[in-house]
Amino acid sequence: MKKLVIISASPKSSNDPSVSMYLARMARNRLSSLESEIINVRQALQNSVLAFETMKSADALLIIFPLYFYCLPGMLMRFLEDYAGFIGGNGNLQKVYAIVNCGFPDPEINNEAISVVKSFARHIGAEFGSGISIDSGGILLSAKDTPFVKKAIKTINEALDTIPANQPSGGVFAINVNFPKRLYFLAGNFGWRQAAKKNGLNKRELYKKPYQSNGSVR
Amino acid sequence: MKAYILSDMDYRTEAYTRLLSEVKEALRCFEIEEKPIGRGDIHYCVGCFGCWVKTPGECLIKDDIANINRKMMNSDVVVYLVPVVFGQFSANIKYALDRWLPNMLPFFETRKDGSTTHPPRYESYPRQIMIGYGGNSDNEDAALFIDITKKHRSDVEVLIDSGVKGQVSKMFGSISLKRVCGGPL
Repeated sequence: MKKLVIISASPKSSNDPSVSMYLARMARNRLSSLESEIINVRQALQNSVLAFETMKSADALLIIFPLYFYCLPGMLMRFLEDYAGFIGGNGNLQKVYAIVNCGFPDPEINNEAISVVKSFARHIGAEFGSGISIDSGGILLSAKDTPFVKKAIKTINEALDTIPANQPSGGVFAINVNFPKRLYFLAGNFGWRQAAKKNGLNKRELYKKPYQSNGSVR
Repeated sequence: MKAYILSDMDYRTEAYTRLLSEVKEALRCFEIEEKPIGRGDIHYCVGCFGCWVKTPGECLIKDDIANINRKMMNSDVVVYLVPVVFGQFSANIKYALDRWLPNMLPFFETRKDGSTTHPPRYESYPRQIMIGYGGNSDNEDAALFIDITKKHRSDVEVLIDSGVKGQVSKMFGSISLKRVCGGPL
């Protein structure tokens, strides 16, 4: 394998730090023995053909994305649907890898999303390499200097090391950040209330039911 | 009784036409509204969480999604006619599904099976029925679609089109077509 295209597919705006872009840069650094390029899907949607040509010329694609409702975000589906139309079934010899991160402390929630990437590979005539499934995604950025995140990063890097080796796999590396679930819930729920407070909302307003107006929503 | 049918404008295949006709027949006692979603009709979710912490219950992006969510939340039944692409929802349908997020609350809670979810914002939700169809899908994709729709959601019904007439009416006849408590995510 010589050329790797890393597809960073967070729908967040560029002002909002995304775990996917963080992981994309991390992958590029870790896989520095390969010629690599990062495609930011949000930007690439403005000129997909250019991105598709770059992807077509690669030996492998590494698709990095957040889990949205237990599968791929709509933005990434648009991009991959269009790429499949562009390339037809001519993705021969390409390998496709995936990294998924979810906001819940359960990495197995990502399993179906990785299977979607497997299906994408099958439909474009490529081969699925492997998947890396990460839980508690937000913590990777907000608590990156803590021992449990450092340990998770080390495991992610070890999983990335299998890519240039081109090892036959098809498997999934499950990365559990191992932050105590109870604490994760407490911190998360506190964080939502604090964010609302910063926006001038009181606790009660968080529970608004705007579509209950005509009385038929019970 | 109201029913809302969400479909994908880009996949108006023979299967779509047949399924739509069967769904309408099965819901003939309902006041039906159809909403085909085409490319560019609505924006994708940008994961800003403004619908949770800035304008709770409403998306910050001003397009047709407020209308769609209001209609869905005020229906008894919502039927999604879903082109199955790579084993999941087509892009147009997924744009709408991702932007269902305002209808949930931000907090974390544990389900009975130990997995994590967000709690419902409303006391009740429409019965949601997802009907998958698609020319390029294989058996593996169909199985994956069922996993994606059923495994992490409660009170969502799913059907994969087999091309056999009567499949829809049989399914609709076997389930309750009333609103459900809690909230299917």
